[in-house]
Amino acid sequence: MTGLRKVYTSTRGTFRRTKVQNIALDGIDLAIAPGELFGLLGANGAGKTTTVKILTTLLLPTSGSARVLGRDVVTETGAVRRQIGFVFGGERGLYWRLSGLDNLRYFADLYLIPPQVSKQRIPELLAKLGLAGREHDKVEGYSRGMKQRLHLARGLLNDPDVLFLDEPTIGLDPVGARDLRLLIRGLADAGKTIFLTTHYMFEADAICDRVAVIKKGQIVAQGTPGSIKQLVGEIGVVEFEVDAITPEGLDRLRALPGVSSVATADLELAVRVTVHCAHPPDVMTRLGLVLDGVSLHRVSAREATLEDAYVELVGDST
Amino acid sequence: MRALVRAAWRAFEVSLRLRVVSPWTYLNWLLFPVIFAAIGLFMLTSSGIDRVAYGVLGGGIIGFWSVAYLDGGNSIQDERWQGTLEQIFAVPTPLFVIVIGKILSSLLLGLMSFIPTVALAYFGFHAALPGLDPVRFAVSLGVLTLSFFVIAVALTPLFAVWRWAFTVLNGLEMAVYGLCGFMFPISQLPSWLQPISYLLSPTWATRALYASANPTPSANFVSWWLAALGLSAIYLGLSFLLYRFVDARARVTGQLALA
Repeated sequence: MTGLRKVYTSTRGTFRRTKVQNIALDGIDLAIAPGELFGLLGANGAGKTTTVKILTTLLLPTSGSARVLGRDVVTETGAVRRQIGFVFGGERGLYWRLSGLDNLRYFADLYLIPPQVSKQRIPELLAKLGLAGREHDKVEGYSRGMKQRLHLARGLLNDPDVLFLDEPTIGLDPVGARDLRLLIRGLADAGKTIFLTTHYMFEADAICDRVAVIKKGQIVAQGTPGSIKQLVGEIGVVEFEVDAITPEGLDRLRALPGVSSVATADLELAVRVTVHCAHPPDVMTRLGLVLDGVSLHRVSAREATLEDAYVELVGDST
Repeated sequence: MRALVRAAWRAFEVSLRLRVVSPWTYLNWLLFPVIFAAIGLFMLTSSGIDRVAYGVLGGGIIGFWSVAYLDGGNSIQDERWQGTLEQIFAVPTPLFVIVIGKILSSLLLGLMSFIPTVALAYFGFHAALPGLDPVRFAVSLGVLTLSFFVIAVALTPLFAVWRWAFTVLNGLEMAVYGLCGFMFPISQLPSWLQPISYLLSPTWATRALYASANPTPSANFVSWWLAALGLSAIYLGLSFLLYRFVDARARVTGQLALA
């Protein structure tokens, strides 16, 4: 991808309509090596899905260029479509009133796969994705995890060289999501090039070879998960729990030397406070002074995770 | 080529199976044609007008038209609602091949509209078509089917890029009943409207169909068939441009994903 830019034009107002331009992608440059599992990380609306849709030929870029397997996604649409697979997260995108097997047969023909190949490949995919035995059931009776695995089977029907996965684990239960991540990692290990979008940092950390962080349509960092963490290498994290904390208390924490951000999360009976800072031991020794009278529980310091690095890079904006 | 034919066949099969379980299909090919046929038969047989063919066949033609014209497009709208429109758009099979499969299933269901309406005419109103010329009738029905097919293939991509196409084209469905003379001769229309009728291929095919069902000395079957086929060929040429436009437009606006 070189200088990839996408601007959507929409209208605002009911009677007096005015045109509004929304910049979804603002000059993206990315290169993904064959066999790589690449993760594009970003908040909702950051431009992840737009990027995937351009690469899968569903959208045209406003400017810039993108090539998949050396083929231009704008001018060589047919060739690109034959060599890629794609899976969008969520339950939609399947024929619920047909069986899983009928869904796969239909798409096998739309991908122009010879019958003798699809007859062999479909049962293999059903077995590999844990759907064997349920293939004759209507999709409307499938669990969300089964639907997502059926999506993945559909994406693999044409044995694509490159697979695009747009938030594939969204809405899945932890076990289903873990199983799907293992499958995706297995596909990459088997030689498939995979372009994955997610906003689950641990997911990217666990399976991606390289990642890029996108913010407001621009790439703000890219590299291995380890190198991204090193970008905020000086940052450590102090976490603790309190029964309650006042806005003034949070302001005093933010005012401590070396503190870059403070976030809170409501737990069932407490509030967890996460402090990103340059020198965790210094912050820990000052906690008692800053939060005088507040009882602190489970105070700990740890190294920054990919999620911490992501929060530092992206902040609270999309 | 064989792979594309197989893809169209699968689209036909899947489309047919999805319609068989949809209540709308039964409204369109069974209930609505019977209602129109019943009204037409009641008016034409009780008033003594010698146009019983319009009562016997009119409801069937309307049902055929409704299913052929709208079901293909509505099925694209259904694809949008269930999130599969992007999936079928991004496969190597061109969209028009998938649409052809869908429309063929519409035509099959649409043709079935003649079963309840002809049965109603025969058993309910004792109306028959004793002067029917079977060969000319079969050819005229074939030409009518082709003209419906081409119109449906041409208009269906509009549903993919413009959500308002669903509303507008549904609204125009009934206008065509009158403009093409499905239930009465277009000579009954105001003279300023008749030129519009002449630009619509079903007008000529319908005229031939009714003439073959009811002996008409002035009938010029070959000219009417050729007029319907010629207009269909023009529509087909325009639809080629429309498909190219739709492909580009859909990829610019991202409308395929919008429900």
